[in-house]
Amino acid sequence: MSSQSGRIGKARRRWAQTLRPYAYILPTFVFLFIFTHWPILRTFYVSFFKWNMASPTMEFVGAANYVQAWKTPLFWQVLGNNLLFAAGTVPLTLAVALALALLINQKIRGLALYRALLFYPTMIPMAAAAMIWLWILTPNYGLLNYYGKWLGLPDVHWLGHSTLALWALVLVGVWKRVGYYMVIYLAGLQVIPEHLYEAARIEGAGPWQRFWKVTFPLVSPTTFFVGVMAVIDAFQAIDQVYLMTGGGPGNATNLFIFYIYQNAFRFFDFGYGSAISAILFLILLALTLLAFRTLHRKVHYA
Amino acid sequence: MAHVVLRNITKRFGQVVAVDNLCLEIPRGQCISLLGPSGCGKTTTLRMLAGFEDLDEGEILVGDRVISSSLKRYYLPPEKRDFGMVFQAFAVWPHLSVFDNVAFPLQIRGLGRAEIREKTTTALTYTGLLDVRDSYPNELSGGQKQRIALARSISFNPTVMLLDEPLSNLDPKMREVMRFEIKELQKRFNFTIIYVTHDQAEAMALSDRIVVMDYGAKVQQDDTPLNVYHRPANKFVFGFIGLSNFLQVEAADGGTYLAGAREAGPIGGERPPQALGATPTLACRPGEIELLRDGGVRGLIARRTLLGDIVDYRVRVGAQEVRVQRSVRQPLFEEGAACGLRFTRLHWYA
Repeated sequence: MSSQSGRIGKARRRWAQTLRPYAYILPTFVFLFIFTHWPILRTFYVSFFKWNMASPTMEFVGAANYVQAWKTPLFWQVLGNNLLFAAGTVPLTLAVALALALLINQKIRGLALYRALLFYPTMIPMAAAAMIWLWILTPNYGLLNYYGKWLGLPDVHWLGHSTLALWALVLVGVWKRVGYYMVIYLAGLQVIPEHLYEAARIEGAGPWQRFWKVTFPLVSPTTFFVGVMAVIDAFQAIDQVYLMTGGGPGNATNLFIFYIYQNAFRFFDFGYGSAISAILFLILLALTLLAFRTLHRKVHYA
Repeated sequence: MAHVVLRNITKRFGQVVAVDNLCLEIPRGQCISLLGPSGCGKTTTLRMLAGFEDLDEGEILVGDRVISSSLKRYYLPPEKRDFGMVFQAFAVWPHLSVFDNVAFPLQIRGLGRAEIREKTTTALTYTGLLDVRDSYPNELSGGQKQRIALARSISFNPTVMLLDEPLSNLDPKMREVMRFEIKELQKRFNFTIIYVTHDQAEAMALSDRIVVMDYGAKVQQDDTPLNVYHRPANKFVFGFIGLSNFLQVEAADGGTYLAGAREAGPIGGERPPQALGATPTLACRPGEIELLRDGGVRGLIARRTLLGDIVDYRVRVGAQEVRVQRSVRQPLFEEGAACGLRFTRLHWYA
C-alpha cells in the first residue's frame, strides 16, 4: 500500500517537473497568442472570405482573393515597388550603418555627442521625420532644391517624380533607421578582440586589408542580423508612404503595407486585405528562411 | 653585431613611468627573455618593439635601421616591420581554415599562389599542423590554436620574433611541449626571439639570456639562465627566481645566528660581508638546506606538505619560519619533531 502511494507520488512529481517550464512561459505565451499568433491565424482564415468588416456575415469564397491578387497588375506593381525599395534601403543601410559605427568606434573628442546626433533620427517618430523630409524635398522652397539652385541644379519635384519619388522614400528610410543599426554594429565591432587587429597589423595588414580580412568577416553575425531586420523593415514601411506620397504619383510609391491598408481600411475589402497580408507573411518567412539557409553559413562567431 | 638595439627607451602612461631608460642589445639569433612581475613594463617594451606604442624617449634599431625614434618622431608602422609575433590570447582567425590562417601574412604580402602554398606547407610541417590544415580553429585545442599563431608568424620568414607570454593560456603539459617546439623552430630558422614572460621556468628553459626586470622595466640582472638562478645579482632577483627564504640574522660571540634564536645554535659557513652592515639578510633556497636529526641550527617542524617527489617543510626557529624542501627518499620528519638545519649555500643581501 505504502509502496503504491509512493509510486503515485513519484509519478505526480514527474508530472510537476514536466509541466513546470510550461507554467513559466504561460504568461508570455498568452500575450503572444492573443496579439500575434491569433491575428495571424485569423488573417489566414479571413483571407478565404468576402467580408467588409461591418457585415455580420462572411461569405466563403475559397481562393478567390488570392486569384484576385494574382490577376491584379497593381498587386505586382506594389510587389515590384517594395522589392526595389528593399534593394535600395537594405544595402545602403548596412553600408552606412557599418561605416558610421567604424567612425564612432574610435577614441575621439565629443564621441557621445556624435553618437547621440546619429542616433537621434531613431528616436523621433516617423511622422515627424516625414514632415521634416517633406519640407526638405518640397519643390521651389524645399531645402534640397534651395541649395541645388545655388549649385545651378534644376528644380526637382522629388516626390512628384514617377521614379525619383521611390528613391526619396529610400533616402528617408535609410536616414531614419541607420542610427539604430549603427548602434547594433557598434556592439558587434566592440566584441572583436583588439589583439586580432594587432596580429593582423604585425603580419602586414594595412587599414584596408584589416577591414576586409578582420572586421568584415568577424562582424558578420551583426551584418546578418541587421540584414534580416532591414529586409523586414523594408516590407513594413508605411508611415512615410502615407504621409509623404500617399502611394503616388500614380502608384509609384505604393508599398505593400500601404496597399494592404488601402484595401482593408479604405475600400473595406477585408478578405482581399487579409489575403495579401498572408502573402506578405509568406514572402517574409521565405526570405528569412532563405537567409538562414544560405547566408548563415558565411557567418562567423569570434 | 647587435641585431636589435633598444637605446635609452622610456615610456610614460600619465604619471606612471612604465619603462624607464631601458637599454638592451640583442645579437642575431639569440633568444632573450624579459622576465618580471606583471606590470613591470616588459609587455610595454615588447609593444614598443612591435610598433604598437610610441616612445617618449629613445630609439629602437634593427640592424642599422632605425624603426622607432622619439627624437625624429619616426615610427615604422607595425605592418612594415616584418616581425613575427605571438600573443597570449590566441590570435587566430575563426573564419579561416588552419591553412588559410597560416597563409594570411603571405596573401597580405601579395605572393604568388605557388609560393604561398609552398611556404604555408613548410610552416605547417614544422609546427605539426599539416594533418589539420583543413580544420577550423574552433575545432582545435588551445595548444593547436597557439601552434597556428606560431606557424602564421614564421610563415613569412621574419628575422625577429616577439613572443608575449605565448604559453600562459595553455595547460602545464602543453606548455612544456611547446617550449621545446619554439626552441626547435628557432634552431631551424635562426630568428632572434624576444620572449616576455612572468614564468621563470619558461624563461629558464627557452632562453640564452634572461633580463630580470622590476617595475619601470628596470633591469635587475642581465645574464645567462644559470647565473640568474645560481648567482642572483640582488635580493629582488633571488626572490623572483625560484623559491626562497629571506631570514634575519644577528652576529654574536664571533658567530652568526638567526635573529632572536641564539639558543638554536650558529648558522656556520661563510660570514656575511662587513659591507652589508649590522643586520644583513640571509637568502637561501629551500632545496639548499639539509635536515639533520642532531646538530645544525635547532628548530621544530611546524608543517609538512607532501608535493609528490618533494616534501615541503616549514621549520620554526625562534620567531622565524624556514622553508625546506627535501626528496621523499630522504628520512622523513614528523610535524612537531625537533630537527637541525644545515645551510649548504648562503647568499647575503643588505
